[in-house]
Formats: sequence, C-alpha cells, structure tokens
Amino acid sequence: MVLAAGAAGAADLARVQTAFSLAFHICFAVFGVGLPWLLLYTEGRWVRTGDPGWLALTKKWSRAFAVLFAVGAVSGTVLSFEFGLLWPAFMARYGGVLGLSFTLEGFAFFAEAIFLGMYLYGWQRLSARAHWLTLWPIAIAGTLSTVFIITANAWMNVPGHIREVDGTVVSAEPLAPFLSPAAPAQVVHMLLAALMCTGGVVAGVYAIGLLRGRRDLYHLRGLRVGLAAVLVCAPLQLVSGDLAARVVGSRQPLKLAAMEGLFRTRSGAPLTIGGFYDDATGRVRYGIELPKLLSLLEGFHTDHRITGLDAAPPTDRPNVLLVHSAFTLMVGLGTVLIAFAALVALVMARRHRRGERPLLPTGRPWLAAAAATGPAAMLAMLAGWEVTEGGRQPWIVYGRMRVADAVTSSPGVGWTLAGTIILYLGLAAAVILILRRMATGGPGPGHAVGPDLPTAPPPALGPDVPPDRLAPVAPGTLAGSDTRVAADLSADAAAPAGSEPAVPAGGGTRR
Amino acid sequence: MSAADLLLVVMVGGLTAYALLAGADFGGGIWDLLARGRDATDQRRLISAALGPVWEANHVWLIFVLVALFSGFSEAFGIIGSTLEVPLLIALVGIVLRGSAYVYRAYGGGAAGPDHWWGHVFAAASTVTPFALGVTGAALATGDLAPGAPWRPLTNPFGLVCGLFAVTVTAFLAAVYLCRDAAAASSTAHLVPGLRRRALAGALASGAWAAALLPLLRTHAPVVADRFADRSIPFAVASALGGVAALMLLWRRRFGAARVAAGLAVAGVLWGWAAAQYPDLIVGHSTVTSAAAPEANLAALLVAIGLGMLVVLPSMVLLFRLFSRPDPYHEPDPAGDGH
Repeated sequence: MVLAAGAAGAADLARVQTAFSLAFHICFAVFGVGLPWLLLYTEGRWVRTGDPGWLALTKKWSRAFAVLFAVGAVSGTVLSFEFGLLWPAFMARYGGVLGLSFTLEGFAFFAEAIFLGMYLYGWQRLSARAHWLTLWPIAIAGTLSTVFIITANAWMNVPGHIREVDGTVVSAEPLAPFLSPAAPAQVVHMLLAALMCTGGVVAGVYAIGLLRGRRDLYHLRGLRVGLAAVLVCAPLQLVSGDLAARVVGSRQPLKLAAMEGLFRTRSGAPLTIGGFYDDATGRVRYGIELPKLLSLLEGFHTDHRITGLDAAPPTDRPNVLLVHSAFTLMVGLGTVLIAFAALVALVMARRHRRGERPLLPTGRPWLAAAAATGPAAMLAMLAGWEVTEGGRQPWIVYGRMRVADAVTSSPGVGWTLAGTIILYLGLAAAVILILRRMATGGPGPGHAVGPDLPTAPPPALGPDVPPDRLAPVAPGTLAGSDTRVAADLSADAAAPAGSEPAVPAGGGTRR
Repeated sequence: MSAADLLLVVMVGGLTAYALLAGADFGGGIWDLLARGRDATDQRRLISAALGPVWEANHVWLIFVLVALFSGFSEAFGIIGSTLEVPLLIALVGIVLRGSAYVYRAYGGGAAGPDHWWGHVFAAASTVTPFALGVTGAALATGDLAPGAPWRPLTNPFGLVCGLFAVTVTAFLAAVYLCRDAAAASSTAHLVPGLRRRALAGALASGAWAAALLPLLRTHAPVVADRFADRSIPFAVASALGGVAALMLLWRRRFGAARVAAGLAVAGVLWGWAAAQYPDLIVGHSTVTSAAAPEANLAALLVAIGLGMLVVLPSMVLLFRLFSRPDPYHEPDPAGDGH
C-alpha cells in the first residue's frame, strides 16, 4: 500500500499506519471468529464422552484464545480511534452512514467479551454443559461481528443508498452498508478465511508436534480438527471468491483490471497468472497468459468485454503491480490448499476402503504440508485484504471520496507510525513467545488438577460410569504408541458418538 | 426530546457505565502500581482476580460511546480526531498495553519475560489511560483545541487537573469495590483494612480535587461553568451526598452499600458535566444540531442500541452475578489451570 499513493506524504504515512494496524488486528481477530467454533466441537466431545483428551485440547485452546482475543480486542479499539485520528474528514462525512454497522458490531463485541469472561473464568462456577453453552454466544457473536464490520467495508467499496449535496450527506438509508452489493460475497469470503486461518494454524501446531515425534492421540486430534476446518473451507472459498470477483467486475471494473493486470479494454480478455505488472508498458512481465479465459470466466463468453485500466486516467488507477501480485499470491495459495484438500480426501477415501486407520495420512510429507496450511491461509487472507483495499485506491469511498481528501492534516503521523510499529512488533513478539510455550507444553501438567475439573460429571455420564473415566489424567498418559493411536482412532470412527473409548492410560513419555 | 438528544442521553449513560466499571479496572491497576509491603503480592492477586472475568466486557463501553459518537455526531468525531491526537494516542497506548500486559502476565507463564515486568506495564498503563481520557474530556469543555496544535490539550491547567481527578476517582472506585471483594472470602480478609484506608483516602482526595476543579472551571471553561451553575446543582449535590455516604459506609464497614454510594458520587460528576455541556459537544466547535446525523439514521441507531441492550444488559448482569461470590474452590487463578 505504501507504493500506491501518489498523493501527499501524510496520506502515504496514514495509509501505511492503517494497513499495518488492520493487518495486525486481523491476524488476531480471525481466531476470535474461528476458535470458538472449534472449541464448541472439542468441548462438546468432552461433555458427551467425558474423555479427558478432549478436555485437554479444549483447555489448551481456551488459554490461547484468551491471549489472542485480548490482543485482538485492544488492537480493534485502536482501529476505531484511528478512523478519526487518521481520516477525520472521512469519518465526519460518512460516520453516520456506517453507524449502524459499527453499532451492531459493538454489541456483538460486547456479547463476545461478556460470555468469554464466563467461559474463561467459569470452569469452577458452571456445570460442564452450562460452560459449553457459553461458547454459543461467543461463536455467534464473533461471526456476527465479522458480518457487521465487513458490511462497512463493502459499502466503502460499493457505496450507495445515500444522497449527497456539495459534499454533505443529506440523507442515507440506515441499512445502506447492508444493501451494498459487495456485502454478501465479501462477508462469506472473510468468514471462510477466518475459519481457514484458525484451522490452519491449529493444524500447523499439532502437525509440528507430530513431526517432532509426539505421535499421540492428543496431537492427532488437534491436527484432525484443525485440518478439517481449513480443508473443508478451501473449496468453498473458491466459490465465494468467484462470486466476489464477479461483483468486483461489475461494480469496480478498475479493481478487477488491476487484479488481472489488464491494461487495454477489450473483449476476449486473457487471464494472466503470475508475473509482474509494468506500469510503463501496461504489460505483465513473466506472467502466464491464458487467452480469452478472463472474458469467459467473467461473462461466460469469450466475447465478453472487460474494462481495462486505460478506461481511467492514471491518477484514478490503483497500484497495479501491488494489487496484481497480491491477487496472484492469494489465488495461488488458495489453489494449493484446494489441491491439498483434494489429495487428503482421496487418500482418506482409499484408506477407508482398505479399512486402514487412522484415516488421516500422517507420514512426514503430509504433516509438513499440514503445518504449512496455517501460514498459507494467513498469508492468503492478508493478500486478499491488500487486493480489496489496494484495489479501491485512490478512493477511500469508491467514486465518492479520495484518500487524499480524507487524511488528517496533523503533523505527527510519521512519529505515530513509528511508535505503532515498535509497539505492535513488541507485542507480537511477546504473543509468539507465549503461544510457543503453550504449544510445546503438551496437554499441560495442571490441566486435570482437582478443582480444575468441574465437580459434576459431564451430563452424558450416568452413575454407572467407571470411575477411571473421570479420574484426572496424569501427565504423559495421553502419549501412546502409534498402534494404540491407530486402534483408538479406528474405534473412534466406527463407534457411535458418545461411546468413544477413554484414552488409554499409562505408557508414553512426558513431553 | 429529539433523536439526537436521546442518543446523547444514551451516550452519557454508556460513559457512566465505562467510568464506574472500566474506571474501577484502571483503578485496580493503579493500586497494583502502588502495592507495597508484606501484602503486596496478595493485593495484586486480588486485583487480578477481580479484573479477570470482567475487564474486557467493561472495556467495550468505551467502544460503545465512541461508535455512537462517530455514528450520530460524526462532525464532532472528526474534530476530536484532528485536535486531540496526543491525549487520545496516549490513552490508546495505555489501553493496548494494559490489556496485553494483563493477559501476558496471566497466561504467559514467564515465556515473554518475567511476569512481574508485565505486571508493572499493566499497572503503569492503567494509571496513564484515565489521565489521558480526563484530559480529553476536559478539552471538550474548554474548547481549547485547534488543528495543528496537538500538544495544546496537555498544556491546559484545567485539563491536567481533570486528568489527575480521573486517576484519583478510578483509584477511589477500585478501592471501594475491592473492599467488598476482599471481605467476601476468609483468605483475603486480611487485606480489608489496607484497602479500606485506601478507599477512605481516595474519597477525600477525590473530593478535594472536585473542590479545586470548580474555580478552574470558571476561569477555563466559562461557558460550561455558567450552565453548570444553572442546571447542574442537583447533580453536584447528589455527587456530594454520595461521597459523604461512601465515607460513612466505609467507616462502618458496609462495603456493599459503599459501592453504590461511590458510584453515585462519580455518576453525579459526569451527569453534572454533561448537563452543563449541552448543547455543545465541543464548546465553540461543534453542537448537537451542527453535528447530528440525519434523523432517520439516528432513529435506526437508537433502535439498534435498544435491541442490542436487550441482549447485552441481561448478559452483563449474569456475568457479574456469576463472579460476585468468591471462588468456590480455590484461590483466584486467572488461568484456571492450577499453576
């Protein structure tokens, strides 16, 4: 984004600041959206079966969630202030239009924070089922807050339903952000991205653990849950991405042209994969050009006419090099993830036919690939935002207000930026150290210490449950040999829900 | 009452909730900073346990007020954003460091530096934030702000005293609230005398600052001072009564009732200020009429707020009830993981 702005230096700095704060925030926010859904699954399994292995996963993730949510919350606060601090003219003019989105998002955030407090600190105060139930409002509110925020962004991309006279909004439909044609596709695309990022990072943590020789049920389950999230969403993301690109093509043709690196308006437009856009020649160097495919994809006909960058004067064009590169990166990573999902599905189907267990392939190359899904999903998500925001340039509200007209005239933006970068990098480093400690700690020595377990047995367990099912698990007992894991996983797959055998006790090594 | 006025009332309500709830959380950080002696560790643990489940929810009141401001009165938000950068940035750094340091200390297990370092960051940030927010609020009353003069709010004596007043008040609230928390469990009962002394001192100091602020208000914010004399006397009286009642109740160790009285004392100041501020949002720069969003948007906003509160307020009551009694099993442990 730095390179894109041709306007005043203040605008450049303010854009870098916004981009940096947004990127930082979203790397945490995705977990606020995705992790509660995964926790609903793992803790739900524990409530139904009483299996302490699921409890161990749940506890570990809830601790990570606490840290990630807190940093996401405070960095989100920074953003809401930054709108005013960096883009006062934008907020002064359009704050009211975006009001409903932000107000509803505020309430979603409220609900998430309230129930998160109950969830994180309520282990001893709530029954197992009630504790699990607090996850529902967290998950729903996290998802809704994404929906609300994305409608605001969608409106900035495809604004409408307002009337302006001389630069003042004289009337606006309250639901304007929700009516933006860009909203549905953008919302679905981001929600899937959040699930993919969460799933990928979770899968990555446990894949690395398995690669390091901790081949136990605890790690396999963590891998399985995370990988399921990222790989199931990957093909769906292709569909939602296609929908989003169609909206862009019809509503923000210059953004599409920048994404595809298309200079000349033409029918039979080619799809250019990869390469670097050269501003001087209007060509993509080193890209692979597939004739007529872009027209075919966008209009279902090779004669479909696609607007090129030449339709607008240079001052009205986004930075094509940046947008095209980011788009290539996103699509490339997405394609790789889909291919990986297909491969895993194939192998699982084959293993299923042959009666092999566990279904999930756990050879070293598979684990290495699984570990890479986290960074790949995060990178694709960030690149996608660069496409969305960078492709909107030079507008802050597409076609209505330019970034250069919205920026603050305050002299200290450079200092603020430097301070933000130092502060955020420091915080990020600390988070990484803490999460690494958590990740390498195994299920956690204290996870099953007396008062930590709910006093009442999980509701699914009647009085005839053998006492060892409820007994705290000693450190290390979750580590089993491969055969034991395989046996358990096969039983896991074959047995109906609720009758999953307890994790075998004894054996294994303390991590 | 127009939609804009109604929204303002809702915003002042949100601000009150922020001051009484999140304010006390900041105050907890101040006492963490000032914790000394034999009981320092126990005190810090009590504070941390009191904050744990609620601080994030309490913090959202600020977002609520902020979003209502920029949705309903975007002009004012634009002016604030381009004139009060310095105090707002200080508050933001404080908010970010406070929240991060709190969870790093609670969940870090020393992985990112010793826990007590993060404890100090948490405590210092908790002290700085209310100061900066106090300075910001004062600038709205004085109107002593201009684009391109970012440091001006920090050179205004009234603003600085307001900042210190905010710090004192949050510390006072925290001490009063903590008295009740400490008294509720036998394991923390030994902390009560110290906290009670702090609460009493905080009440007296807050009263002294308030008395010092009145003459400064007259010289530095004459517009608001005039209206204060006209409209805000009932609020000031309520605040003073609340303060005196809090002192008496603390003295008699009626900590539950003291909480209510202390809340009344602080809310009285806020509502008195708000009444005197009206119809100015930023004196000399922005008024309700100049800044209000179109009527239809304000109505939609109010409906959304009403529906949102229907969900959030009962949830919040549930949260506070759940954690109002002492932990049934063991000493407060933020991580809930027994170590």
